Amino acid sequence: MPVSTTELKTRIIEALNLQDTTPEQIDDDAPLFGTGLGLDSIDALELVVMLEKHYSIIIKGIEEGGPAFRSVRALADFIGARRAGT
Amino acid sequence: MAQQPVITGLGVIASPGCGVATIWEAVAGQRDGLKPLTLFPSPRYGPVPVGEVQLDLLKLGAPRRASRTDRLGWLAAREAIQSAALPPEAFGDRAGVVLGSSVGGSFDSEGFLIKLIKEGKFHPRPTRFHECHSSAELIADSFGLFGPAMTVSTACSSGALAIATAAEMIQAGEADVMLAGGADSISRMTWGGFHALLLVDGQGCRPFDAARGGMSLGEGAAMLVLETEENAQRRGAKILARLSGWGASCDAHHVTAPHPEGAGALAAMRVALRRAGLDAAQIDYVNAHGTGTRDNDLAEAKALKALFDGRVPPFSSSKRFFGHSLAASGAIEAVLCIEALRHQQLPPNPGFSQVDPAIGMEPVRELTSTTLTHVMSNSFGFGGNNAVLIFSTPTSTATTRAAKPSPINVTGLGVIGPGAVTMRGITSPMPADQLSVRSCEPLPGAASLTPNQRRRLGHLHQMAVLAARASHTPVADQRVAVALGTGFGCLAEGAAFIENYVAKDEAEPMPSRFPGSVHNAPAGQIAMDLGSRGLNSAPTAGAITFECALWQAWRQLDAGEADVALAGATDELQNYPLAIGKRWGIWTDQTVPGEGAVVARLASGEASSPALARVTALRLGRYRRPFDAARETAWISKTVALSSIGILLSGGHGLPVLEPLYESMAQEISRRAGRTIEHQTYKQLCGEFHSASAFGFSVAVRLARERQCGVLLYTLSPRGGKALCLVQPALPALPA
Repeated sequence: MPVSTTELKTRIIEALNLQDTTPEQIDDDAPLFGTGLGLDSIDALELVVMLEKHYSIIIKGIEEGGPAFRSVRALADFIGARRAGT
Repeated sequence: MAQQPVITGLGVIASPGCGVATIWEAVAGQRDGLKPLTLFPSPRYGPVPVGEVQLDLLKLGAPRRASRTDRLGWLAAREAIQSAALPPEAFGDRAGVVLGSSVGGSFDSEGFLIKLIKEGKFHPRPTRFHECHSSAELIADSFGLFGPAMTVSTACSSGALAIATAAEMIQAGEADVMLAGGADSISRMTWGGFHALLLVDGQGCRPFDAARGGMSLGEGAAMLVLETEENAQRRGAKILARLSGWGASCDAHHVTAPHPEGAGALAAMRVALRRAGLDAAQIDYVNAHGTGTRDNDLAEAKALKALFDGRVPPFSSSKRFFGHSLAASGAIEAVLCIEALRHQQLPPNPGFSQVDPAIGMEPVRELTSTTLTHVMSNSFGFGGNNAVLIFSTPTSTATTRAAKPSPINVTGLGVIGPGAVTMRGITSPMPADQLSVRSCEPLPGAASLTPNQRRRLGHLHQMAVLAARASHTPVADQRVAVALGTGFGCLAEGAAFIENYVAKDEAEPMPSRFPGSVHNAPAGQIAMDLGSRGLNSAPTAGAITFECALWQAWRQLDAGEADVALAGATDELQNYPLAIGKRWGIWTDQTVPGEGAVVARLASGEASSPALARVTALRLGRYRRPFDAARETAWISKTVALSSIGILLSGGHGLPVLEPLYESMAQEISRRAGRTIEHQTYKQLCGEFHSASAFGFSVAVRLARERQCGVLLYTLSPRGGKALCLVQPALPALPA
């Protein structure tokens, strides 16, 4: 089952304590790391915890989640693919 | 003349066993020191291999009234003292201890938390030895060391930085004999924390190997006896090695990841070589930090290649022998380096099998006999904290560079606090209660923090960054050292992480809280905020925490390793010490808990222009019991002419147990000076907390300016620490 990007953005804001950010301010295709939201590797680890907590997806190494953390849309696709068992 | 520190005693306990001989045997026999964790159950991560000390510490003679870390440290100290054959007269005022500890008594405190969270029982006894400084105080008390006692808590570089600090104490003439090393036990905090950061290799660490997948946690302790060469020769002691150089730096890059090119590591190695008066080509072996994480080993390899210009001498990591025992690791590896010098053999690097093309070098594969004169030991920690030691054979001719002690100027001051007295509720999981406190919330200037600092940094870290900013404005190419002490450390971060870990049985860890929980996290945040890449230390020593920070910062100026040094201290109000202090009757109507952060900007007396005040004397030590005001006044007058004291500024109006001590000192100092010396206090303004004397220092600067007289900041810790600091009016600025 695909996950809505709006729902995912809400989860990201909550997990990363992005106090002043609203889901509307995050572009589906904008890079999550480096520029954009200014996130770093520790935030990536928080997203790993978020994925397990809300979507039961377990990531054992940060490289494994690398491509999925490119953007909100990439993350939504990753969750959808994992849920579909591919 | 510079006193070159020599090493005359060693003690060690780690996963292979207890004692230097046992440890060297394990190294020579290439024995894998990792075994499945048995110290506590781990439902989520399972029995992953660790370097656990599976010995009965009490049967080995360790004290009962102590934490696991205390016991490890004590056992190593006992062996070091025995092996140095120190006579009873070697102890006393001229002997001290500097210990590195990252977790202190956390393992024991976790027992208290588990009972509280799982059973709702509030039994705080196991937290008595929670503080990182507990082990150093136990060692000082047990073996009769009344010189300086300090703990350095800079995560995984603590042990090495502690040894470097002790060397500076020897060099500065603070002591004739110093015990120095590190101690840490495995704890749920570090176990869960490194797992949360995805930094643990489930197969056990494989440093520098192509397939390496992370580190392995370990525990243990190691202690060295450092002496002046003169002292060692006078008593006919056998010199095992020389500590010819040491260096520290900060990446100022990231809370956990090293600088990708190893820039900070390289800088620290260069400082160590400079202080030893050696060229890189003279180093015969490097004991690498080599944790086995992808990032560390690659960055360290790059730094080694840069330092040695491609001709890297034999190197190896010892982490598969002992696990990564955090603060103990730099000290254990120091012992290994000294043993390598003594045996003239290169220690191997178990866990390695295949060269990583990105690294392009292989470590020592087998125990190899060779000629060793100078060896280097690397230790790097969270916050990009780097410390490097160079050991040399007793007959070597390294000429450790002298550091000239001279008065320093206070050229800036940042103060966060004190707040007004307000009520604060203690909330679950503790029994609910209300207490009067002096809180710094809401934090003035918090709006000036960056969005990432606001969302990521805890209250303590924010206070520290704001105080540092108020004291100092960065200037390009200026070398800045930071020593920011904290008594209790980052309690809110640590508590949030471990409460969650216990309550959820290891599920849903909090990766960002763990690196924020180390004592050096605020100092590291200051470094990142201000771009300061010199020494980055986090001393802790109860009530004299600030004075220890001042001591370390001052030495950086003396050694010419920094143009500016920031010395400060910080502590925060947190539920646990409030509730436990209430239960133990510490908080009363007179003793109001407080918090705050103070950072002083220091520059050498010659180099700086207009100053707020001068610091002309600073001394650390421990007092004997029963407290003897005449003896302690004599201790002060050895350093400070009583005629130069206009005001005595003490830590009175804090803990009731210290009130009569301060009163007797005020009377005795006046009697000896032959006039009434005004006695002032500051804790009625800022409340009681470990690093409150940092606030006292800011009051001393103000008094020295306003009253144009010398102010003696005199601090006692209930557990035996003492410090004096003489603040004097600034000299008139010379006409341009």
